[in-house]
Amino acid sequence: MRRQKMNFLPHDSAHKHVTGQSVYVNDMQASSEMLEGHVVYSKQAHAKIVSINISEALKVNGVDTILLAKDIPGLNQMGPVVHDEICLADKEVTFIGQAIALIAAKTKKAAREAEKKLKIDYELLDAILDLDTAIEKENRLAPPRKIECGDLEKGFSESDKILEGSLKTGGQEHWYLETQSCLAVPGEDREMMAYSSTQHPSETQAIVAEVLGIQKNEVEVEVRRMGGAFGGKETQANHVAAWSSLLANATGKPVKICLNRDEDQIMTGKRHRTLNYYKVGFDRNGKIHALDVDLNLDAGSSNDLTMAITERAMFHIDNAYYIPNLKVVGNTWKTNLPSNTAFRGFGGPQGMAVIENIIDRIARHLGKDPLEIRKLNFYNEEKENITHYGQKVENNRLQALYKQLTKTSDYSERRSQINQFNQFNRFTKRGIALTPVKFGISFTTSFLNQAGALVNIYKDGTVQVNHGGTEMGQGLYLKILQVAASELGIDPKFIKVTSTNTSKVPNTSATAASSGSDLNGMAVQNAIDKLKSRLSEVAAKVAFNGGSKPENIRFEKDIVFDANNPENNIRFPDLINLAYLNQTSLSATGYYKTPDIHYDKDKGRGKPFHYFAFGMAVTEVEVDTLTGYAKVLRTDILHDVGKSINERIDIGQIEGGFVQGMGWVTTEDLKYDANGNLLNHSPDTYKIPTIQDIPKDFRVEILKNAPNPATIKQSKAVGEPPFMLALSVWLAIKDAISAVGDHQSEPEFSLPATNEVILEAVEKIREGMERG
Amino acid sequence: MDGVRNTVRFILDGKTVTIDFEKEMISPTITVLNYIRSLPKHKGVKEGCAEGDCGACTVVLAEADSNGKMTYRAVNSCLIFLPMIDGKHLITIENLAQKESGEVKLHAVQQAMVDLNGSQCGFCTPGIVMSIFALQKSHVNPSREIAEDALTGNLCRCTGYQPILNAALKSSNGEPDHFTKDEKNISEELSKLNSEPTDILIKTKDQTYIQPKSLKSALKYVSQNPDAIIINGSTDVALKQTKKFELIPKVIDLSAVQELKFFNEDEDQIEIGAGLPLESVKIKLNGKFCAFADALKVFASKQIRELATLGGNIGTASPIGDTIPLLFAYDAKLKIVNQNGERLIRIEDFIKGYRQTDLKAGELIYTVMIPKHQNVKFYKVSKRKDLDISTVSAGFRIGLNNEKVKDICLAFGGMAAMPKRAKKTEAFLLGKAWNENNVEAAMKILKEEFQPLSDARSGKEFRKLAAKNLLLKFYEETKDELSPAR
Repeated sequence: MRRQKMNFLPHDSAHKHVTGQSVYVNDMQASSEMLEGHVVYSKQAHAKIVSINISEALKVNGVDTILLAKDIPGLNQMGPVVHDEICLADKEVTFIGQAIALIAAKTKKAAREAEKKLKIDYELLDAILDLDTAIEKENRLAPPRKIECGDLEKGFSESDKILEGSLKTGGQEHWYLETQSCLAVPGEDREMMAYSSTQHPSETQAIVAEVLGIQKNEVEVEVRRMGGAFGGKETQANHVAAWSSLLANATGKPVKICLNRDEDQIMTGKRHRTLNYYKVGFDRNGKIHALDVDLNLDAGSSNDLTMAITERAMFHIDNAYYIPNLKVVGNTWKTNLPSNTAFRGFGGPQGMAVIENIIDRIARHLGKDPLEIRKLNFYNEEKENITHYGQKVENNRLQALYKQLTKTSDYSERRSQINQFNQFNRFTKRGIALTPVKFGISFTTSFLNQAGALVNIYKDGTVQVNHGGTEMGQGLYLKILQVAASELGIDPKFIKVTSTNTSKVPNTSATAASSGSDLNGMAVQNAIDKLKSRLSEVAAKVAFNGGSKPENIRFEKDIVFDANNPENNIRFPDLINLAYLNQTSLSATGYYKTPDIHYDKDKGRGKPFHYFAFGMAVTEVEVDTLTGYAKVLRTDILHDVGKSINERIDIGQIEGGFVQGMGWVTTEDLKYDANGNLLNHSPDTYKIPTIQDIPKDFRVEILKNAPNPATIKQSKAVGEPPFMLALSVWLAIKDAISAVGDHQSEPEFSLPATNEVILEAVEKIREGMERG
Repeated sequence: MDGVRNTVRFILDGKTVTIDFEKEMISPTITVLNYIRSLPKHKGVKEGCAEGDCGACTVVLAEADSNGKMTYRAVNSCLIFLPMIDGKHLITIENLAQKESGEVKLHAVQQAMVDLNGSQCGFCTPGIVMSIFALQKSHVNPSREIAEDALTGNLCRCTGYQPILNAALKSSNGEPDHFTKDEKNISEELSKLNSEPTDILIKTKDQTYIQPKSLKSALKYVSQNPDAIIINGSTDVALKQTKKFELIPKVIDLSAVQELKFFNEDEDQIEIGAGLPLESVKIKLNGKFCAFADALKVFASKQIRELATLGGNIGTASPIGDTIPLLFAYDAKLKIVNQNGERLIRIEDFIKGYRQTDLKAGELIYTVMIPKHQNVKFYKVSKRKDLDISTVSAGFRIGLNNEKVKDICLAFGGMAAMPKRAKKTEAFLLGKAWNENNVEAAMKILKEEFQPLSDARSGKEFRKLAAKNLLLKFYEETKDELSPAR
């Protein structure tokens, strides 16, 4: 059989996905004793808990156990970085959706019945439900952070023009198809096994151990796959795991908690909403001389990952532009909402939205095409290539992307067609925008950039690969499989990448920051290097009777041979057997840490990123200015993934990330009532893109001949960067709105550009025109 | 014919399954989703939202027409109660691939999804495969538009849909599959199940479920059980159970009453049976009746339209039901029946208030009669164009005489507690020239005529703004057609 070309292999689970055979947590049945877990959460945004009465609820037929804070054997906390998140509220609740009690019952129905009979009395306290109020009341989460470069005052004084303004960006619900889920199975002694839909098994393990008051070595966490995660299961999967483990521990039976859609949307955190203020100075050509930005992020009720997210927003306030004098301050504010959390882009989208809108304003102010202003301010290759935090932008792809994409997208021709279209159409307007992405790759908390692997070879020559990364659909397992197959020189069918398990690879970092393949791929390669060096010894000395040198041994096409003397060769499985008989260890661990990255938070200086990923998009939209409906006519994307390990997987990440970003900038809108209840807690009112919303003409290409030095197979991370290409949709909509007033006035704009935002902006422009 | 039975029968996994709810202690309103997932080897169907908005639970129902020809409809299994599949062939994701000499042979749809990278996390994939399966059973080489329509009800958060769309287009090539080969057997088996239609009457400890098979017995049950909730597609009522976790004590399910599923057209009007699924209405309209066709194009998803009916959309009298303002504009009449006879009522008189109608105990909506008015338009403003509930919807009609407005109807949904006409604005325009000045003056009146609410969908100011703009849009779109000068 002809080998399928490796870098075009389909997703390793594809055949199981399409036949319904892939197993997710909710499909697991531990035993007939298994109980359903149910979480009773606060219905108040901020209140004292006066009393909780569970006696009637316990009488409900089918109810096994009800747990309150006092029943937690270990620590009542589950904060991932800062220990500021209680597991079950006892004295006070600080957001709607905060867990208060846990019910284990034979059926969900019985658990819900019990919830109705469980009485909680609250004494209401003042709640802070939006950023404006949090800022006004100075309800900070932490002291502000700052990054500064150049001389701001000098920069402004040398500017011809100065613009000031503000921009709001909205939150975003992850809307992974599989809701937060965990099945906890109690073992011998104090052991607990958690099958969790988590991006971070090691942290889930730690939190479960902490709430149970046991050692980490007594907790095992396993995850085969998640039904989507997008950052939403980086820290907040811990909650469901902790709750189900508490119930499993108390009942001695397996307990499964799978939140339903509404519970998930109400209880879990979102992308951080922001409110940002800026002042920008530039010359008459549009070259930026100075930028002063205050970012304000809504943390929700606790830390979670807010500080790291804020930092990333600050790191990306420049996006692709060299700004010699820059100050960015990151403020974080506490509100009585679920703690906001990681979401694809991790602060990057918010930072980039600010600068991209600023560039757009500069262009409109100067009466130029924003494209020109972007090009003028791009980081250069030789000079003007140091970021505001002091890292040099190396292997800059911006010029190459710009050159190719403006040509293939036919930008200038279409710009003039659009101008013509707008002249002849009164109520339908078109707009176009090109936006770039430069995204820093690495956890900005430097020590997290490490990974482990365990590779076992069995006597029949088959291989099992274990690593610390988790599979959420992004194709990590497949990329790992490809790395292992090409390093071992054997067919992928002899290799199995197994479920991620804390007992096989300990102390891992989250599969996050787009780093899954970069870190785990390298760790797997490291393990295989060790095995190959042992096997080369056996081949040279035993198989080839000392007729070869170990350094000349090669592994290709299921054969192990001497590169200088191919007559000396042996089938891979035969060599394995020989190695076993010659008492050679066929198991090795691998380890990798990203070299040469560092960052000093206090000084705001360092090299936080191993490298940058680049991308660029051109989008054209059509807006019905009477209804506010925006349709994406065409999008052209050119994206830099280094040398692709798997093009199909990478294209999938680019298209998927872009469409998810489209949702953030257009229809995904979160509204709360005056008491802090989320109004959009199901897909009935929370609208992610459907198949009808994607660009009618969608052209995605990978930048060719751009290998990345010093990464696994010269590839680049691709999970997050394409998300931000969707800012081209947002700014194309703005361009179309601006056409209503013949590009003479700046539209009042925010993010997402819902039909509501669009129509109100159009109305203001029309009113302005009527007034003359 | 006279007897009743307390069991439900359908075909699954090639076998006829009989469910005795009482004996097996199953609720008769168990959703098909929960039933399937309770089976040992059917975990492929997924719950994503339990409200018909994501399609992860999509399954296919196959039925034989009178000639034995099979039709395949994709539906949301989270929205339908198990008795609703009585006499049908239930096809799930597990039924598509086949074992051939020990090897799993994927169905063409599945193979295309694998080859074109249509799955990432895989959770939505079973539902998507089932939607494409139903598509390729009814269309050969469909247009992009038809493929998109078949997949609007399937949310995917990973792929960005492009590869899914490609897979749908690639696999809908008309090639026969193992279902084609099996059609004769299945259709014979189904005709056995349906040969003597018997009403279903299921009584459990706390629920009664009645599924009459004829209009006559439906009217009898309705008159005997004034406390029953009447359903047809159950796409609205099911949410009481799946979202609010309420017990539905008594149901009369009209989905098996064939007399309610007709479509007649003559010179002056069309008459649509209240129980005809909206997808069938859409097919029958075949692009005619533009405003109606426009409304159905953005009405929910195909999976929901396969279940939902015009009678249901009218009967729930939701302030944001899409068809009601449009039926106002057409000045549609309803034929209402009970055991003693029938009566006609204008749709406007039928809608009484927030989810309130003129339907009296013992009555059913029988048909909807829609006059063939010209110059009727439908508009829907929603956050997302497709599979979204209206923020504001509108059905407008206009007639001119000597360039003056002699007849106008401006009906809105989403602007008040019930669908409502903008009577003041209509009065202002009546007798005036249909020109931009008058329309702009009318827009000012319209903006103040309603006091809409702010809610999860939008603020009230947006609703007012959108409502007035729709009048301008209507003017823009009709001025050329109406103007005798052109």
